[in-house]
Amino acid sequence: MNERKWPEKLDSIVEEFAECFDSMERYELLFQYAKKNPTPLATKEWSDSNQVHGCQSRAHVLCEIDQNGKFLMRGGADAQIVQGLMTITALAVNGMTPEEVSLMSPDFADAMGIKSSLTPSRANGFLNMFNRIKEHAKNLI
Amino acid sequence: MGLDINSIRSDFPILNRKLPNGKKLVYFDNAATSQKPQCVIDAMSRYYEEYNSNAHRANHTLADEATKALENARKTISTYFGTTPEQLIYTSGATEAINLVAFSWARENLSEGDVIVLTEMEHHADIVPWQQLSKDKGVEIRYVPINIETYFLDMAAFEVAVKDASLVCVVHTSNVLGIRNPVEDIIQISHQSGAKVLIDCAQGAPHEKINFDDSKCDFIAISAHKMAGPTGIGCLLVRKDAMDEMGPFMTGGSMIKTVTTEGSTFQEGHAMFETGTPRIAEAIGWGAAVEWLSQYDMQEVHSHINEIASWTAEKMKNIDGITIYGDPKLSNSSGAVSFLHSTIQSQDLALLLDEGGFAVRTGHHCAQPLMDALGVPSTNRISFWIYNTIEEAKSFVEHLEYVVNRFS
Repeated sequence: MNERKWPEKLDSIVEEFAECFDSMERYELLFQYAKKNPTPLATKEWSDSNQVHGCQSRAHVLCEIDQNGKFLMRGGADAQIVQGLMTITALAVNGMTPEEVSLMSPDFADAMGIKSSLTPSRANGFLNMFNRIKEHAKNLI
Repeated sequence: MGLDINSIRSDFPILNRKLPNGKKLVYFDNAATSQKPQCVIDAMSRYYEEYNSNAHRANHTLADEATKALENARKTISTYFGTTPEQLIYTSGATEAINLVAFSWARENLSEGDVIVLTEMEHHADIVPWQQLSKDKGVEIRYVPINIETYFLDMAAFEVAVKDASLVCVVHTSNVLGIRNPVEDIIQISHQSGAKVLIDCAQGAPHEKINFDDSKCDFIAISAHKMAGPTGIGCLLVRKDAMDEMGPFMTGGSMIKTVTTEGSTFQEGHAMFETGTPRIAEAIGWGAAVEWLSQYDMQEVHSHINEIASWTAEKMKNIDGITIYGDPKLSNSSGAVSFLHSTIQSQDLALLLDEGGFAVRTGHHCAQPLMDALGVPSTNRISFWIYNTIEEAKSFVEHLEYVVNRFS
């Protein structure tokens, strides 16, 4: 049996993206998800210490353990594509244990068909943000 | 007779490429790097296939052939830039060329209190080496501002800043704005004040014929890869009197005359600054690029690029929310068109344009002080070159309109 590459709760979202007619429709959907961040980080909370460096866009992430002892990320970005991926990442990681988050792969973005979301460019906003969350998770174990 | 763009395009195999989404590539990121004609690719392959050997080291046939090719390229390239091979130092590109001036000339000749003049328009490659020098040696840096209405350098401020300066470092053409600075005036005024002048021609060289000797400039930095040549090579053009004032930069093999356990003596001229195994294939490739470019009248090339850039910028101005930075309709503008949309963030816009097959640049363009002066964190930039067509520009404008209508 194949090991899951992303949490089950993302299956419907991955499917929703995979069913899009073309990449423009996928980006349009991602723009919609950008508006649905369950745990946003208000711009007034954006600071140097929570900035994800190396992005062409501004992105900020704050990670903590919630009252139930589970991982909680809050984030915000000025680029809608990064913000949309941030929403989906938050839906995935919030409620996990830090160990689970630290082991998570960003493959779900690839499966969603978001081209270039996984390129190793230093300028890749999503990947920088995702790696930052995993680093935080490791520190919170 | 005008340029035969179809014939020019046929020299660039990459321009026929289709992207993974099936869209035809439209390459508008030429200010970052140009594409390479087949003759450049062939010249480099031929070196590796037929006479790959280290230059300036051995007497066998292949070494002779490699050395001749390396030095023939130096002659071809220096002639193209209106100077002699003795005044051309191979570097990895314009960035290393500027660092070479900072290490070899400025560290030898400047001390605390001496003044270097830069502008707000500089690429980081022409800022950071001087900031490091300032930290180490206590030299003062003065920045000449730009007029954010006209995007021109404030020449009145320049004339004040240059007083008592020892070195003036100015970009020939802005990589963000496409603005060509009045380098002739800058060189003359600087020399009258007793300052040496370094011009960063990374963006200028692909757009006009640079004549080093006629310019009277002391140092010119150039990258090959923006003018049809390979990456990893460029040069510093240096007047002989300035070269005589330079000390060694990197040390090691090739740049020495003798080495004993007690110490070393160094080569003279450009050989002192070309340490280690030379960039042989790259130099040969650049030589081929310069020969390829020499078949065209650069004024004609510039007019072609300028016509596309000014047409595109005018059309873009009619799209809701688009602001253009720079003035592409200026006759000496380089063909770089920087822009932003009021609601679609620049990285988002670049990805949406890429979906249409359009390769555009996004970010601060290694010119953060200029971004600060413009009051923006980044821009999108399209930049044209010899092989681009007005049809490509038309399809770009159509796609941009489509993206803006759908996503703003």
